[in-house]
Amino acid sequence: MRCGDLKESYLEDEKIFQSLFVKICLATLLVVLVIIPFVAGPYTLYIMNLIGFAIIGAVGLNLLTGFTGQISLGHAAFIGVGGYTTAILVTKLGVPFWFAMPVAGLVSAGMGLIIGIPSLRVKGLYLCIATLAAQFILEFVFVHWESMTRGIRGINVPPPRIGDFVFDTEKSYYFITLFLVIVAVGFARNLVRTKWGRAFVAIRDRDLAAEIIGINLFRYKLAAFALSSFFAGIAGSLWVGFIKVVTPEHFPFSLSIQYLAMVIVGGLGSVLGSIFGAIFMILTPELLNILVSSAKQLFPGLDQFFIPLKDIIFGGLIVSFLVFEPHGLAEIWHRIKNFFLLWPFSY
Amino acid sequence: MRMRHFRISAMILAILVLSSCLVYAQNEIKIGAVQPITGRFAFAGVNINAGLEDALMIANEEGGINGKKIKYIMEDGQYQLDVAVAAFKRIMSRDNPLIMYGESTGLGKAMSPEIKDRFKILYSSTSFSSELADPKENPYIFVPGPTYADMFGILLKYIAKEKPGAKVAFFYSDTEFGKDPIQAARDMCKTLGLDLVAEEVAQVGSVDVTSQVLDLKRKNPDFVIFQGFVVDPVQTVIKQCRDFGMKTQFMGTFWGASQMVVNNLGPAAEGYMAVNPYMYWWNDDVPMIKKIKAYTAKTYPKVTSRDNSYMQGFMTGLIFVECLKRADKAGELNGPGLAKALQSIKDFDSGGLSAPFIIKNNKFPVARVWKANVEKKILEPVSDWMTVE
Repeated sequence: MRCGDLKESYLEDEKIFQSLFVKICLATLLVVLVIIPFVAGPYTLYIMNLIGFAIIGAVGLNLLTGFTGQISLGHAAFIGVGGYTTAILVTKLGVPFWFAMPVAGLVSAGMGLIIGIPSLRVKGLYLCIATLAAQFILEFVFVHWESMTRGIRGINVPPPRIGDFVFDTEKSYYFITLFLVIVAVGFARNLVRTKWGRAFVAIRDRDLAAEIIGINLFRYKLAAFALSSFFAGIAGSLWVGFIKVVTPEHFPFSLSIQYLAMVIVGGLGSVLGSIFGAIFMILTPELLNILVSSAKQLFPGLDQFFIPLKDIIFGGLIVSFLVFEPHGLAEIWHRIKNFFLLWPFSY
Repeated sequence: MRMRHFRISAMILAILVLSSCLVYAQNEIKIGAVQPITGRFAFAGVNINAGLEDALMIANEEGGINGKKIKYIMEDGQYQLDVAVAAFKRIMSRDNPLIMYGESTGLGKAMSPEIKDRFKILYSSTSFSSELADPKENPYIFVPGPTYADMFGILLKYIAKEKPGAKVAFFYSDTEFGKDPIQAARDMCKTLGLDLVAEEVAQVGSVDVTSQVLDLKRKNPDFVIFQGFVVDPVQTVIKQCRDFGMKTQFMGTFWGASQMVVNNLGPAAEGYMAVNPYMYWWNDDVPMIKKIKAYTAKTYPKVTSRDNSYMQGFMTGLIFVECLKRADKAGELNGPGLAKALQSIKDFDSGGLSAPFIIKNNKFPVARVWKANVEKKILEPVSDWMTVE
């Protein structure tokens, strides 16, 4: 068991794979993630896919909110833009899904650029409201631009395919999701240790100071919005390919809040935190559901009591996490790791 | 202290998880349901769930499906698509039921490719959307009554008979639910020779409907049909129109035929009409209503009344049971067998709960028009059972 590692430069501090042990752990995790679809049932894989989409979306939002300090309440709308772009490209123009997905990301990014413009003038709560407007404007567009979005009826989308192989089951789709999650997380993790990532953090910590030391606020704030929306667009595109239908009701304001909650519960300014947050926000309600359905069998006839109870428990869990660990799940993970680093000789 | 708490909660958890893994008896027929028990459709979801469950449990008491008992498995879908799809898949992979019931139009649409090609199960839902009644696209999905378009058809036929060439207006919400029947209804107006003078659109639950009401006043229709609302803004529209002294007759489709609406409208409900394919709780002379009342008195002594959404769930349960019986008799107790049984339903006797049901394009296009009785706060039939072609 290793007991701490010595670093001699800042460069080493920023390494992603800090030691051989970490490499082994991550390799094992990857192997497990690849094996899972061959042993798990469709329900588990459905949830794993949802977690995957949430991770991509949450990492994107964390780049904007956690690293750059710009709160966005319109994340769900950007996911929707990605979803609709994919659906329209695939059904109206017959573009293959694989090409539609990056285009959807770019369209979302473009939308993010436009919505991000107010961030140059307004901050904090004011920016919150500006992005909130984006949520409602885009939702309105989804409903009323009927020639493109088919309005409230939505668009049915064929599943992605390569040649004759169709990705229409949870299992096959899981591999697309897994691949993109790895790419997205890898990209974000690397980005935050480059010049760009440092600029984001500088803006978050004090934008005035950042500007004085030569960071172009215009460029980096908009870049953060565009990047975050690009991630959202990819997440939306994946969701549409998976669920095979898109309607405006898929991207409500509450989804934006849910993404914000993922980032906050997971840990602001931490890529790992976004992953934990996404897993927590998707998995906990499902676990509570399973718990409730078992409780129903023990106490039949009390459905009306148990089913609303799970929302209360879920809310309580989020609040208690924030009270007991304001830095989020990432910090809890960090503490557990540190405990075992020295275990059993914690002198 | 902490450790003990931890142990106790761990034990409770373990018991709960284990109990969910119990092995059930094999000679059971499983029917799964994703119901909107919480969320914005909960007011109806709770009723629908009770109706469906009661119909299945009554069938069990009467001997089940040729001796086999039905097991009803319900989970909450919260009227959110991702939650509902998760619940659907959870039930499918854990219990593998023969029949599923869904909570929304959206869930049906999202699952329809998989219901057809993968699960092959009989499916019905809370929705009367016309998109879910398409035997070619999906032979396994049916609507337990007329679609919204059929309901409009029945109302318009009634209007055409009462007042040929009448001026009609539609007042619908800006949702899928609101817009679903409108195109079909426009065409129907043309064929029936009715004059469609206005179409007003409002948001669900909106309070300010002044501009729409003023437009109605200008065009002065004889009949206004609401679609896609549950309570608001129906009440406001009717009251404001009455304040202007308009004599317009107001009408609603299934969700507007609930007793709740009549109660909320109060005196403004005078003359209000709605279309409903099922009989009501107060129609005591109907044998099936008697049966429902007796079962309710025995099982839920506190319940004194059930709304029309309960009857919708109950009727769906009756159709499920009938399909199961027919499929079992034919020795094909599986999805394709059930779909075949569904197509064979003709003159199905629901104990008077509805007209003798005849399936047509995976729906049952029959209903009657009801009129509010303000004093008794109930709805009374003003037409016989009507069908649309």
